[in-house]
Amino acid sequence: MNLSYLTTVANSTLRMMTPVLYVTLAAAVCSKVKILNISMEGVMLISAFFAIVTNWFTHNVFLSIITAIAIGVVVSAVVGFCIIYLKAQPVVVGMACNTMMSGLSIYLLYAIFHTRGVFTDPSLQGIPKINLPFIKDIPVLGQVLYNLTIVDYLAFASAIVLYIFLYKTVLGYRLRAIGINPQAAQSLGTKVERYQFLTVTLSGILSGLGGSLLSMGSVTLFIQNISSGRGYIAMAANNLGRSHPLGALLSSFFFGFCQSLGYILQGTSIKSQITTAIPYVATILALILFTVYGRIQKARRISRLRKEEPRETPASL
Amino acid sequence: MLVEMKHITKRYGEVIANDDVSLALEENEILAIVGENGAGKTTIMKILYGLEHPDAGEIFIRGQKVLITSPRAAMAHHIGMVQQHFMLFDTLSAAENIVYQNEIRKGIFFDHKKTNQTVLELSQSYGLPIDPQAIVQQLPIGSQQRVEILKILYQQSQIIIFDEPSAVLTPLEVEELLKTMKQLKAMGKSLILITHKLQEVMDVADRVIVMRQGKVTFESKVTDTNVKELTYHMVKRHLNTRTLKPQNPGEVQLELKHISVYGNSAKKELDDISLCVRSFEIVGIAGVSGNGQSLLARVVSGLLDSDAGELFIKGQNLTHQSVHSIRQAGLSHVPDDRYLWGSAREATLGENALMGFEYRPDFTQKGILKSQKIKHLTNSLIDRYQIKADEWQQKMSQLSGGNAQKLVVGREFEQNSEVLLVNEPTRGIDIGAMEFIHQQLVEKRDNGCAILLISSDLNEIMTLSDRIIVLFEGRINATFVRGEADARQLGLYMVKRYEEIET
Repeated sequence: MNLSYLTTVANSTLRMMTPVLYVTLAAAVCSKVKILNISMEGVMLISAFFAIVTNWFTHNVFLSIITAIAIGVVVSAVVGFCIIYLKAQPVVVGMACNTMMSGLSIYLLYAIFHTRGVFTDPSLQGIPKINLPFIKDIPVLGQVLYNLTIVDYLAFASAIVLYIFLYKTVLGYRLRAIGINPQAAQSLGTKVERYQFLTVTLSGILSGLGGSLLSMGSVTLFIQNISSGRGYIAMAANNLGRSHPLGALLSSFFFGFCQSLGYILQGTSIKSQITTAIPYVATILALILFTVYGRIQKARRISRLRKEEPRETPASL
Repeated sequence: MLVEMKHITKRYGEVIANDDVSLALEENEILAIVGENGAGKTTIMKILYGLEHPDAGEIFIRGQKVLITSPRAAMAHHIGMVQQHFMLFDTLSAAENIVYQNEIRKGIFFDHKKTNQTVLELSQSYGLPIDPQAIVQQLPIGSQQRVEILKILYQQSQIIIFDEPSAVLTPLEVEELLKTMKQLKAMGKSLILITHKLQEVMDVADRVIVMRQGKVTFESKVTDTNVKELTYHMVKRHLNTRTLKPQNPGEVQLELKHISVYGNSAKKELDDISLCVRSFEIVGIAGVSGNGQSLLARVVSGLLDSDAGELFIKGQNLTHQSVHSIRQAGLSHVPDDRYLWGSAREATLGENALMGFEYRPDFTQKGILKSQKIKHLTNSLIDRYQIKADEWQQKMSQLSGGNAQKLVVGREFEQNSEVLLVNEPTRGIDIGAMEFIHQQLVEKRDNGCAILLISSDLNEIMTLSDRIIVLFEGRINATFVRGEADARQLGLYMVKRYEEIET
């Protein structure tokens, strides 16, 4: 294994992780305001689809991204409205959204493009790749950052901006407070539901951007079920990252790595069924290890406490 | 006149919580509102604070009619409320909690440095010491309440409502609180104190209003009345004081040996608990809630497996055994939360009365429940425990708190178990039901039961227990025999390690 191999893995990891990062951040902000949002999968999928639709009719990348964002916001708003104002079960609403978006994208794929499964066309415009003039020439770094798009860079920036927003600004502080104790916020006169609704709705921007990366990032096409579980992986990543934007950065890096490992191993003699399963198996393993790690820590603490001198009880009974 | 509430009426469905209530608060006075649970005193204050909206009636502030539609509107009129259940953000710092909604900004950013400094100055100017950077959930309850009070002072409230502020405090913390209240009055604030502890009323209030069944039944200057008169107006009868017949304790029925539970924090949550309960005695566990009482109850009842130590019931080792086998061995358990652990709200009274015995041949035949037997069981409980219910098949959720608790107590007591674990048996129920349950407990004891009573109500512990064990930070901090210690002394052991007290 040589250096160029490693830089290829790193480069592919970065490209694989950004869509997951977007939806993980969406999951994180929703859980910060105590809303269980599992609809990222569907939102991402339908945004990816409409990005391609706009692209086909306008051949304008910018408009396509805007469409993806707009669709993400609209669908998330509907989901948020059902959960927050109509008090529907979040899991039911989320699953309904995901199933419906999956069906809708297949139907519209046929209705608009008269095709099943895959749609691609040479006239479609991908998001332009940026190769910064200075960095491009730096040996390893240049290759690691090779062919990333502006939307990829934006994902990393979003994580940092969200961190600053949540932990340093007044508005972010209020959102966190709402998540910690909604009743207390209510009793202090905060319109909790409005904040929650806006948060879920605006999380659609992130899911939408994630969707646009799927259909216009590394490749420019729409495949049925192109999100392939990334919205669910995001829930695991959010869990591992403890709903913290920087934690999300780390956990989606891990999932990006697993995915790129899967792709790279496709070129070897390992069966493709196994290589494509890698990210999903990794998700389950990561969650198990996360729990096991917590238990080991507790066991360690107990054995440490046991070693302490036994204490005398004040008065005998 | 600072605040006048005139002819306030509030209904919840068919229940009238406030029935044509009028009251007034003068500038710079402490007004106490007393009454039993469900008398409507919290409702009337929630209306003043904008959390509830009256069906009829008007509110005037300094003679001007106002509409208080939300807590925000109340705050705009300089009304603040320290609620019974603290409204705090547990994982944020004290300062962050205090400035919520009126944050100190630097552009769009939260100015932590200036916030901490402002809060420190505020706490010093009112003599309410607090560390602005301390995380709220790590503070003792008394300090959490101080954060609540500072939050209201930071909002520049002139009228401060305290809803049962002493319910969660230790005697020492109560003294501090009463001092704070007097001091706030001296600084020109006007206070309303909701409570059912009459001694506090006598200590701090200027005027007192008694509410009963949604109405104001009595009003007086504190100097013109006394505890006895107030009690009479609260419950409309005179209460007798309870004395326990001396009994000779029998054999050890329940024994814990070196029980420990390791939690997620660095400290042990239950630390080497050894105790025994014999027949013909009640052992009371006192302590500020959150010092291991509920864990202890869960370990004894089998809901939680201890990490170390052994549990014996009637000589049988039941460590690591299931709830079922512990109940089979002769333990009955009245849990602290009657809806979470004690009953199923959406099930019928009959189903609730049966819970835990459904396997017994009296009530089941080849897996089919015998409804006539269950009806009979339920009706006899309703009868014996004076439960106000329409019929045995109505839903548990339709019963009032006190009646629901009586059903749970009845179910557990009627098992004829020899060991009883009773956790907070009278929390949140009215004086009538409380008296009744106390009487049942004493009868059980006189019939030879071994009773472990856990309660955060010090009075309850002191009236009923033959022996008292004080838990603090998960450890047995002190043990007393009945009559050996007064409330003050017990209170001291509830907040400080015995090593610190005795040296």
